[in-house]
Amino acid sequence: MTRPEPHDEQPPAVTTNQFDPSNDGRPGGLIGERIRITADGALLIDNVDCTVARGSLSALVGPNGAGKSTLLRALTAVQLPASGTVHFDGDDLLGMPRRQRARLAAFVEQDATTDSALTVDMVVALGRLPHQSLWEADSPESAAVVASSLDTVGMNAFREREFHSLSGGEKQRVMLARALAQQPQLLALDEPTNHLDIAAQLSVLELLDHLRTTGVTVLAALHDLSLAASYCDHVIVLSRGRVVAAGATEEVLTEELIAEVYGVRASIMRNPVTGKPVIGYSPA
Amino acid sequence: MAKVSPFALGSALAIALLVSITVAVTIGPAEIRFDEVWRSIGSHLGIGVSPLTELRDGIVWQLRLPRVLTAAAVGAGLALSGAVMQAITRNPLADPYLLGLSSGAALGAVSVLLLGAAVLLPFAAFVGALLALTLTLLLAGSLGAITPSRTVLAGIAVSALASAITSFVIFWSVTGDSYREVLSWLLGSLSGARWPAVAITMTAIIVIGIPVMLTGRLLDSFAFGDIQAASLGVNVSATRWGLLAATALVTGAMVSVSGSIGFVGLILPHAVRLLVGAGHRALLPLSALLGAVFLVWADTLARTLFDPREIPVGIVTAMIGAPIFAFLLTRRKSST
Repeated sequence: MTRPEPHDEQPPAVTTNQFDPSNDGRPGGLIGERIRITADGALLIDNVDCTVARGSLSALVGPNGAGKSTLLRALTAVQLPASGTVHFDGDDLLGMPRRQRARLAAFVEQDATTDSALTVDMVVALGRLPHQSLWEADSPESAAVVASSLDTVGMNAFREREFHSLSGGEKQRVMLARALAQQPQLLALDEPTNHLDIAAQLSVLELLDHLRTTGVTVLAALHDLSLAASYCDHVIVLSRGRVVAAGATEEVLTEELIAEVYGVRASIMRNPVTGKPVIGYSPA
Repeated sequence: MAKVSPFALGSALAIALLVSITVAVTIGPAEIRFDEVWRSIGSHLGIGVSPLTELRDGIVWQLRLPRVLTAAAVGAGLALSGAVMQAITRNPLADPYLLGLSSGAALGAVSVLLLGAAVLLPFAAFVGALLALTLTLLLAGSLGAITPSRTVLAGIAVSALASAITSFVIFWSVTGDSYREVLSWLLGSLSGARWPAVAITMTAIIVIGIPVMLTGRLLDSFAFGDIQAASLGVNVSATRWGLLAATALVTGAMVSVSGSIGFVGLILPHAVRLLVGAGHRALLPLSALLGAVFLVWADTLARTLFDPREIPVGIVTAMIGAPIFAFLLTRRKSST
């Protein structure tokens, strides 16, 4: 996998609505076209085209209110857009039956909470819902998928615990395991590092990085541009319901673009330990 | 907390229900023995056992057995409806009467009692319940997208209105005997339950209740809200409204027979959760079983506690339910 390299001289911000996934040498992946989403008469997402290359770890970034959550829900068909199409590897995600879609695409929402006293393994077993009929008993195969999903996120020791007794980072890892239990090819996550401490943030991104190596296409809405810059292959920048830039991370996340989109001064530096980009901010 | 195996609890409750029904029939002013209960049932089912005397058989078959069976069915239906309501509204304090069902039923029932058409009571109560539900949903819909919280608030408004009209009607025109009759119905009573009541409530349980019990997996997917359920491939609005309609029909059928018996739908699902956890596949059938056992005994208390006078079973369930509810509230405070 390629890590974004820090540039001394940044190219100008790319302001195109699309990039060609075949640049990556891996065609297919997630392709959303002409997506419009409205709510109560307001236009939240304005004719957006976006592409996420198959097997990539991509970030969806942008200021608050840019429409990141809304777009993610539409791309995973959790909430249908007013118009537009979404395809994954050529299959129509918006048109296919719900259960079939849930076997293909998983969505992890921001700050999932519940009042219910479900245990960790019951929460993860929810991910098996699209794979089994309502009445049938849990198959051994299902139990094995649940166990391996918990193993992947390192939460197997917590399987008997009640979900709401976990810490924020533990909850996020359980929700990730729930999504993995769907055995998806596409995983979309809304702010998966929100409210997590630094160690937990890194552990979530390391997990996503690991999933990419297993062939899952991962798209995560992220607030922390340094995390996006150091972990993600591609970035889609959303501002006021439009894609203002998209492409390879090092080409897109420039000081100029950050200044333009976020209205702050940005300085891209290099982490002396990892060599990955780190972004510092100051008022414009 | 160590949980009980759902299968073990289910088996225990099923046995307890059979025993409770039999024992409850033996209890009352006239002493009926255990074996007489089964002999009466056996002879009516055409099994070759020696029948009881006509008088004793009448007590078992005409009076006590239908009442006990109705209590079991009503308890099961209310507890099941409560568990489903709590899941689809994501409100742990939801009960089956949340959407104005009981107040609407009361209005319908009181109206026909005053018109002297008591035979129409179950029908009028059922229609009243469904009218109130329709009004609630229309009101919720007129507020914008129908969400659980809007629906609950609309239910409160409709309940208040129906209760006000009911109170007015009672205040204006009820006198003497009909006052007792109305009051006993309003507080929830099974004293008039005979075989038609068994037929109504058992039909609701078998036709609607049992299919609803099998939707546990779907209800689990609502634990984290609509978005999560949708992401798991669940048709959120069809599921929610389908289950809402189903529980409304079950509750309407129960209310039409018994009046509104409080706390059964609210408390018993919580008790089951404490024992076996929050998974709905176990919670729904176990709530129904526990509800059945609970109401059989509550009604037995209601008709024997102050013998020869009988009190409405709603008073008994409230006396038992209110302290448990208070306990659950304090527990909830400490856990969240």
